Amino acid sequence: MGDSQYSFSLTTFSPSGKLVQIEHALTAVGSGQTSLGIKASNGVVIATEKKLPSILVDEASVQKIQHLTPNIGTVYSGMGPDFRVLVRKSRKQAEQYLRLYKEPIPVTQLVRETATVMQEFTQSGGVRPFGVSLLVAGYDDKGPQLYQVDPSGSYFSWKASAMGKNVSNAKTFLEKRYTEDMELDDAIHTAILTLKEGFEGEISSKNIEIGKIGADKIFRVLTPAEIDDYLAEVE
Amino acid sequence: MSRGSGAGYDRHITIFSPEGRLFQVEYAFKAVKAAGITSIGVRGKDSVCVVTQKKVPDKLLDQSSVSHLFPVTKYLGLLATGITADSRSLVTQARNEAAEFRFQYGYEMPADILAKWIADKSQVYTQHAYMRPLGVVAMVLGIDEERGPLLYKCDPAGHFYGHKATSAGVKEQEAINFLEKKMKENPAFTYDETVQTAISALQSVLQEDFKATEIEVGVVRADNPIFRSLETEEIEEHLTAISERD
Repeated sequence: MGDSQYSFSLTTFSPSGKLVQIEHALTAVGSGQTSLGIKASNGVVIATEKKLPSILVDEASVQKIQHLTPNIGTVYSGMGPDFRVLVRKSRKQAEQYLRLYKEPIPVTQLVRETATVMQEFTQSGGVRPFGVSLLVAGYDDKGPQLYQVDPSGSYFSWKASAMGKNVSNAKTFLEKRYTEDMELDDAIHTAILTLKEGFEGEISSKNIEIGKIGADKIFRVLTPAEIDDYLAEVE
Repeated sequence: MSRGSGAGYDRHITIFSPEGRLFQVEYAFKAVKAAGITSIGVRGKDSVCVVTQKKVPDKLLDQSSVSHLFPVTKYLGLLATGITADSRSLVTQARNEAAEFRFQYGYEMPADILAKWIADKSQVYTQHAYMRPLGVVAMVLGIDEERGPLLYKCDPAGHFYGHKATSAGVKEQEAINFLEKKMKENPAFTYDETVQTAISALQSVLQEDFKATEIEVGVVRADNPIFRSLETEEIEEHLTAISERD
């Protein structure tokens, strides 16, 4: 990968044993817009702030939450362009699995493969780590699942998680509000309330995005009208 | 052999700084401004117009060869603001890509797909050390069969958004402030209003009245989706209309 002049890794150990480039990548994630995910008993919801640089930007042209397969969706905090690269690679991996095994890829497998790509960029020559953390939400035979993948390539399964600017407030809020037997609609309300906690300005269907997947195993991004309904219920 | 990761090389190649920033990308944005021109794009109800300054630094230069407005296909235009050489390289690649798209898929490459391709290419330069980011902000315009007029802007960081109106270059921020006021109520500009908003925005932020030879104007219209650069006479008409209006 890359020119032979750069066939050495740019991510190298510091004297204290740290991989500093990965830490800087995490800092980049921490200054990104807040996003979060909640696993309910019958589905998963992921949500993010969608703050655009100007009112001149056509918000319909931007979608931060993306499908990886019909039953797996993802959102990020950090650098948008890096996210697009990972989405493309993951979609291809999912499609290759489907072609080979004639079965949709299990959520854990897709997460593992995406994480492997991210790890490779921390060790290969001439590249920097990805400046994004991903939240992957899916529903397969093992039920609803939520995974977080970090720039280092490490991933964990979460009951609820948050990333980005407001991560500590959001996680504290989620820890208080989360219950094991939560249903999907409750989870969506909780997600909205969590986003509201650290939101600068007025929350509306134009500056947040919500994606959900239920027992129907179809991942969907909510329309602004649906978000408005949920916002009204939360008031 | 040179090494990165915190040894001061975060300013020379695109690796992260301790604050999680990419200095080379930020410097690429500065290079766009250093080119010394400002560009504006406005999307109307059924047309898109882009305007840029035409600075010819030497009287001996052939004026017709100085242009920042490039047709990528018959229906897609690209306005490149920044380093001229980087712009030419980007346009050549974009033209190739659009032609291959038409061949492979059997229909014209839409503006947003081209913008995404440009942005994804720019992202690669921000992640791989062997190539620097391009010092170009590209505005892509075209009429989409289903969605109507489209205006997209792609930057050295790999971001791309659809815009109702936007700007790039030296006076980018001032122009965006001006345009935000104009577009606040979501007006549906006609073709003439679109062109005149774009030109008057440029005149306002640069605080000068232009001659028709000092600016370049590119348009696409729903009733004539071929991308074209306006002739001097047409620009003259719009300039006159603007000054009579005020």
